[in-house]
Amino acid sequence: MVKITIDGRQVEVKEGMTILQAAESIGIEIPHLCFHPAFPPEGSCRLCLVEIEGRPKLELACSTIVQEGMTISTQSETVRQARRSVLEFLLAEHPLDCPICDKAGNCQLQDYYQEYGLFDSQFKENKERKSKKVALGKNLILDRERCILCTRCVRFLKEITRTGELGVFQRGLRSEIDYFPGQPVDNNYSGNLAELCPVGAITDKDFRFQTRSWFLQSGPSICPHCSRACSIYIDYHVGFPRVELDKYVYRIRARENPEINDYWICDFGRYNYAYLEKKRATKVLVRENGQAQEGDWDSQIERLVKKIKEFYLKKKTNRIGLVLHSALTNEELYLAKKIFQEDLPEVNIFLIDPPEGEGDNWLLTPSRTPNLKGLELIGLQPQKFPPEKPLTELEILIIFAYLPHGEDQYNQLRSLLEKSHFSVLFTAHQTALMNQVDVVFPTTLLAEKEGSVVNVEEKLQKFPAALTPPGTARSEREILLTLGRGLGINFSFYRQLKTPAAVFDQLSQDISYFRGSK
Amino acid sequence: MMDLSPETRKKITQLTAKYPQKQAALLPVLHLIQNEMGYIPQEAEIWVAELLGLQPVRVKEVITFYTMFLEKPIGRYHLQVCTNLSCTLAGAEHILNYLIKKLGIKPGETTADGRFTLTTVECLGACEQAPCMMINFDYYGNLTPEKIDEILDGLE
Repeated sequence: MVKITIDGRQVEVKEGMTILQAAESIGIEIPHLCFHPAFPPEGSCRLCLVEIEGRPKLELACSTIVQEGMTISTQSETVRQARRSVLEFLLAEHPLDCPICDKAGNCQLQDYYQEYGLFDSQFKENKERKSKKVALGKNLILDRERCILCTRCVRFLKEITRTGELGVFQRGLRSEIDYFPGQPVDNNYSGNLAELCPVGAITDKDFRFQTRSWFLQSGPSICPHCSRACSIYIDYHVGFPRVELDKYVYRIRARENPEINDYWICDFGRYNYAYLEKKRATKVLVRENGQAQEGDWDSQIERLVKKIKEFYLKKKTNRIGLVLHSALTNEELYLAKKIFQEDLPEVNIFLIDPPEGEGDNWLLTPSRTPNLKGLELIGLQPQKFPPEKPLTELEILIIFAYLPHGEDQYNQLRSLLEKSHFSVLFTAHQTALMNQVDVVFPTTLLAEKEGSVVNVEEKLQKFPAALTPPGTARSEREILLTLGRGLGINFSFYRQLKTPAAVFDQLSQDISYFRGSK
Repeated sequence: MMDLSPETRKKITQLTAKYPQKQAALLPVLHLIQNEMGYIPQEAEIWVAELLGLQPVRVKEVITFYTMFLEKPIGRYHLQVCTNLSCTLAGAEHILNYLIKKLGIKPGETTADGRFTLTTVECLGACEQAPCMMINFDYYGNLTPEKIDEILDGLE
């Protein structure tokens, strides 16, 4: 440990820390643009200059290691003056097109100018004109006028993805970010560059000119597209002040999580968000005499409960089929296990997940659902599908479907449906299957749920609901609780599980893996 | 495959063997290629990158950083006029303007007959004979318009 003084506060910090990290650890923010905790310091933006007693010049906080007895000032007049000067140089060539810049509102350069700048530029010359829309790859556009050459993008590609597509060409005033002709940024992590850029130089084609960042709200959630279950933010627009919007979710961003995904997410997870809004199921549909009509939740759930009860009393629960998927939360899978594996014996449980895709040996896994591990840990024991011996006729088939990518699971589900007398479909999306079942119930997606999942490395993550569900959609947790209570086999057990947290508590009492995790 | 003479190839092989990390041979290898070809074409960048276990983009970074590496062919005579402080005080601007007028090209351009390329450079380290320029690897100092006529006429 090293004793230092920062802005008059005496603190002990770990040896080998930089001044910037030491200050951050006690809540003092030192402005910086090129430094990013994921890479070694670069020292190119010069904004993190601080004063150290006994040293003739200001020093860079991002690359100076703390030493015993150092007295550091981050807010002295000299430091503030230096910041102003650095900002003046950074802004000498930076265009003031903030009104049309995607980064405006969460741009560090803007924020620092507001805090330390507010000067009249002494530069009377015209700004350099450079190319303003260079396509860096399939998802990215580079504005060379806005670029401050912090090289975060270059370093990310060199050190994190190790694909190294970008470089700094030319030098001095003419320096610019570019790729070797014919070899643009084309990897599964390119979207991180737009997030990493501290100014609006690299923008995301998908988000470009779509909205202003200050209209967006960020909901923490987890990415459901593979078993890594990266932490994400879902940025959505609540509608105000433009009430008539045809879009709700505008982008997905990485949420810092050193346990799982650090600061990054892959492009597969980042750009696949249309499913949150497109073709959502919003109301209960009941098919009678080949005609689909809108139904209501309570009476249709009651109808289902009655049917199940009938076969329970006849001791014919082996004629009930249940289809699950592993994009459900631990809480939901636990309830499903309690009801369909414990309360009701011999139910045929099947697991039908989206087909595996290609992994990329880093974050993206071949399995395309977030909670396969959770399902295993909870002890659900689904049968193999297709079943080894031919299936007998099913009286009731209950399908919880997860169908955001393609329709490969349809055929599997269809073969089950053909053998079922009464079938209900819980789905978040409108699908071709809707015409083949007796009742369709609209459900929520992971982004609209509170709960937890266990990722491929057996790491548990809890998350709140980020979005409001559409229409009358209900979460599978609520649905399963209603079923559990309605069946009345173990009424008091389900009655006390009022919140996702209560279900989790019960789950952690039952299964040792979940014990002790907050 | 790169069109290099056996001698240059041999030198390159010797060079790369000399360094504990072969990437360190990047600058001298590029010099060898430029000496033979007069410039470094893009295919050479890719070839060098492969040879040294680098990505082409890293080679391009180096080539564009150093102004003396050329990415395009230049004229037979490369007129490099110093426009740094001493030369400017001694009238480099007039010398440059005279050359621009005489050759009918701007700095960075090559005459239509491919004889002359004109560029401006920073200090050539010959301030005692300011204003000065280099033509290929030869120094010419204390320039005046008359002297320039004489020098250019004396070239093949």
